[in-house]
Amino acid sequence: MSAPRRRRGTRLGGEPLRFTFDGRPYEGQVGDTAASALLASGVRALGRSMKARRLRGVTTAGPEEPGALLTLGTAPALIPNVSAPQLLLREGMVLRSQNRWPSLRWDLAALLQAGGGLFGAGFYYKTFLWPSWRTYEPLIRRLAGLGAAPRRCDLAPPAVEHAACDVLVAGGGAAGLAAALAAARAGARVIVCEREPQCGGELDFEEARIDGLAARDWLAAALRELAALGATVHTDTPIVGGSDGQLLALSGASAAHAGGVLRPIRPRAFVMAMGSVEHGIAFVANDLPGVMLLGAAERYLARYGACVGRVLVLFGCHDRMYASAARLRAGGMQVRAIVDTRAADHVDADPHIRQARAALAAAGVECLCGHAVRAAVGGRSVRAARIAPLSGSPSAAQSASRSAPSADPQALRTIACDTILVSGGWSPEVHAGLQEGGVRRYAEALGAFVASDQPAWRRAAGAGNGHLALPEVLVDGHAAGANAAGAAGAGGSAGAAPLAHGDGPPRALAFWRSPASAAQEKRQYVDLQTDVTVADLRQALDEGFRDIEHVKRYTTLGMGTEQGRTSTPLGAAVLAELKGEALARTGLSRSRPPYQPVALQALAGWRTGAAFRPARTTPLHDWHAANGGVLDPMGLWMRPRYYRANGANAFAAAVTEAGRVRTSGGVVDASTLGKIEVAGAGAGAFLDHLYLTRASTLAPGRAKYMLAMREDGCALDDGIVLRLDAQRFLVTTSSGHAEHMLAHLELHRATGTGEAALAITDVSDAWAVIGVAGPRSRAALQAVLGGRWQPLLEQLAYMHFADGRWADHDLRVLRAGYSGERAYELHCRPAAAVALWERLLAQGLAPYGIDALDILRVEKGYLGGSEINGQTTPLDLCMEALVQLGNPFVGRELLERPAFHEARRPRLVGLRAADGRARFLAGAQLTTAPPAGATPVLPCGHVTSTAYSPALREWIGLALLARDQARPGAIVYACDPLRGALTPVRVTAPTHFDPAGERIKA
Amino acid sequence: MTTPASHEMPGAMKRLSCPFCGPRELHEFRFHKTLPSADAPASVFQRVYERSAERTLSIEHWQHLGGCRGWLLVRRDPSSGAVLAVRLLDGAAP
Repeated sequence: MSAPRRRRGTRLGGEPLRFTFDGRPYEGQVGDTAASALLASGVRALGRSMKARRLRGVTTAGPEEPGALLTLGTAPALIPNVSAPQLLLREGMVLRSQNRWPSLRWDLAALLQAGGGLFGAGFYYKTFLWPSWRTYEPLIRRLAGLGAAPRRCDLAPPAVEHAACDVLVAGGGAAGLAAALAAARAGARVIVCEREPQCGGELDFEEARIDGLAARDWLAAALRELAALGATVHTDTPIVGGSDGQLLALSGASAAHAGGVLRPIRPRAFVMAMGSVEHGIAFVANDLPGVMLLGAAERYLARYGACVGRVLVLFGCHDRMYASAARLRAGGMQVRAIVDTRAADHVDADPHIRQARAALAAAGVECLCGHAVRAAVGGRSVRAARIAPLSGSPSAAQSASRSAPSADPQALRTIACDTILVSGGWSPEVHAGLQEGGVRRYAEALGAFVASDQPAWRRAAGAGNGHLALPEVLVDGHAAGANAAGAAGAGGSAGAAPLAHGDGPPRALAFWRSPASAAQEKRQYVDLQTDVTVADLRQALDEGFRDIEHVKRYTTLGMGTEQGRTSTPLGAAVLAELKGEALARTGLSRSRPPYQPVALQALAGWRTGAAFRPARTTPLHDWHAANGGVLDPMGLWMRPRYYRANGANAFAAAVTEAGRVRTSGGVVDASTLGKIEVAGAGAGAFLDHLYLTRASTLAPGRAKYMLAMREDGCALDDGIVLRLDAQRFLVTTSSGHAEHMLAHLELHRATGTGEAALAITDVSDAWAVIGVAGPRSRAALQAVLGGRWQPLLEQLAYMHFADGRWADHDLRVLRAGYSGERAYELHCRPAAAVALWERLLAQGLAPYGIDALDILRVEKGYLGGSEINGQTTPLDLCMEALVQLGNPFVGRELLERPAFHEARRPRLVGLRAADGRARFLAGAQLTTAPPAGATPVLPCGHVTSTAYSPALREWIGLALLARDQARPGAIVYACDPLRGALTPVRVTAPTHFDPAGERIKA
Repeated sequence: MTTPASHEMPGAMKRLSCPFCGPRELHEFRFHKTLPSADAPASVFQRVYERSAERTLSIEHWQHLGGCRGWLLVRRDPSSGAVLAVRLLDGAAP
């Protein structure tokens, strides 16, 4: 726009940095932030607000920035919502404004809203209702939010550096450094985290001398002493949150284009010295670009040498304005007027201030007292300020009421300017003190909320305790540091507090908003980011939302990225005024972590993508992958669902594989089964207690299918238990329950009263398991294993096993399976698994996957995870005979409760389509009559598993159906409204294929 | 709004001291369940299902999954998160 505005001889220097903003080239200097470079280049508008899409410029110089949020980079790897005051400039940066279309200057949504009133408080409850909100959803999604989400993230994840220390100090300003020095001198290990790129805080503007040194020199000496004492000072490191005694700091958060370092810090004591945040005053159109906070303008000048405007008007209610005006004038900007809301005699009571005012008046600055800026005038940015006297005493000015607009039209003056710098006072920054207990308390003398009720290990210092003047800040910081060191156990002496001679705290008389008429209240902004105006607060009150937390949620006050740092104090004060109560009673709403926006990438770190969860693979994994196995994650395991060669799609392949097992034979990778060895003199009795049937009656070399029981009488898991010898058992569990069963056994060993010691060893990863099933299984196995195995296999009966060797590895062959065919489970060492597998394939057996495994077990009515779902008892699962054997297992007593014997209890049944052809799927609800019309029908059960059976050539299933409906031959209806199906099905016995079980024992 | 009872040192909840392995971060442990209160409950039903939520004492089973896999009996103050006592369960009565 206009010529660059820099003060000569600034702190910055060096090479100019070129960057673009909205496609236009600009120049900055090394050390600039995006905001300072753009301000120095005369750019006023940087974006548009969230709701009303009004133009926004830079208003602050920190993370509390509500309006100047930019998008960095270009799609697909852009970074949205970067706070301009915090973004360090780099050569070649591409910056764009957000939330506007088609351009920043001409935004269509803003034009449509000219006239306002569409997005009042709680608008989302009242608008976009007809015919249904879904009609508007796509539009709202496009309009909502600020920046556009990136499609790709090129940020490197941050490194993570854990740290523990005695005292953690948040804030590297006067209070923070005094605290750090005290603690370090007392012998504590100290870490200081300062969110700005350099320490100092308000010391930048301090003219008083500390311990005889100029403020800047004292700062440098303090940092040197801290380094000598071994303290660590991190700059550019805000503390973004924390819980349970651990604080989370993020270095390099302002860089936005580098990974940074995530620092979880565990301190023994924590000192919060985070200073205070300035807030503004509400007047008409106080959201125009060009209205800024006074302290921010000073910071831009002092740190970056950037002049925020040419002709300034200052507006505020405290003494510091006058010193600020002098500094701004010295920086080369013209101060047209200083508008002080306090009465002249009150202001002039202090001789220093009277002198300052006189000096400024002599230099041509108009110093007005008892006046207020009523409105900012301008279209796209400030062109003038409209000023009027305040009627009545300073205290009456606080209660500007609706019925008393500008008293006298002639008294309204317009002063041409291009920037209005506002300062309504400061709120201590106590964000971190609100977590894990800790509240805010209203300090009458300060007119703001300070921290209180902190846990023993956390304390505030400086502004957090209500001190604003340098001498008290230093003393308070020193005391906090000494106390913290003592709490952390460091016993040394903290030395003397730094001494500064200065004036007391600046006098201030709280002033929150200029008087305005009802119509004008719609344009007095309280929250610049979410466009909350005084009228919105009034409307919320009118609609019955009185508590500030309710008002916050109804109007979205303080819910933006700045979490209410500038908006909530102002909003609360206006609310108190509207309600007619004291601000102490209104309180502030709670702000939430993180302290400032943190990229999820920074928190996730390296735990993304493949590293998000470990993937467990079986010893045969590579073979499956190389031979057309389609691998899917099941829990953490990668398992082959089917093999591509066997069919065009999953369904066809699974049916082919399952059919082939029954006609000739197949092999399956079952290595994911849980295997646990239980050994000891009491092992048998131990297992008896935890399973439905007894394990202690097994002879060595024998195995049994057993159901693990829970203390409430429900089934926990099923598996085969093998007796290895007199004192050793091998327990197998289903793949999904392996971890749980291991912990379950360990818990019962720990809480049991077993006299002898038991060894429970997880051997799941020590054995690969290959299932061999089908009519040709025995012959193939004999051919592969050879030697002494051949006669052994000939005689191996069902549920018997034999141990031996094959190819120099241990091998265990168990005659059992999950398919209902003649089947063997081979337990071999992982190193031998692939060789054994390939030898079996060479015998003409084909591999089958998990889908086919499921088909085979549904045909036989064997239980899976859908049947043993944690809510079914052995009685539901047709195992009454086993219950009646009388084993006193855990949960026996609760199994006998009447509720488990009711007629409505589910019972395991089989299902077939009534017409012999239709398909039905697991999850369908079963009803006795088809649902008609809108009358709801209660289901009497649900379908747990289904499969297309190649042996029976129709769809079959298993279901849990109410006992009184579970009659073989009954017709029930499988209702599947999600998939739009309604299928009549016939109840059968669970075992669909080979009910007599002849093939297993063949 | 009053603050709940505050614990002595920060991070009392974030760490558990395993009798076998020493003080470890909380994420190494897995909570299993809260036990009924110390006075012996009458029936199996009460032992399995009923709990009284005491403000100041919770007796719990935890397992040190990320370490020795030992089962622990932990006495905790739920209102402040402070761990009052930890004992390894080793087959003695709970």
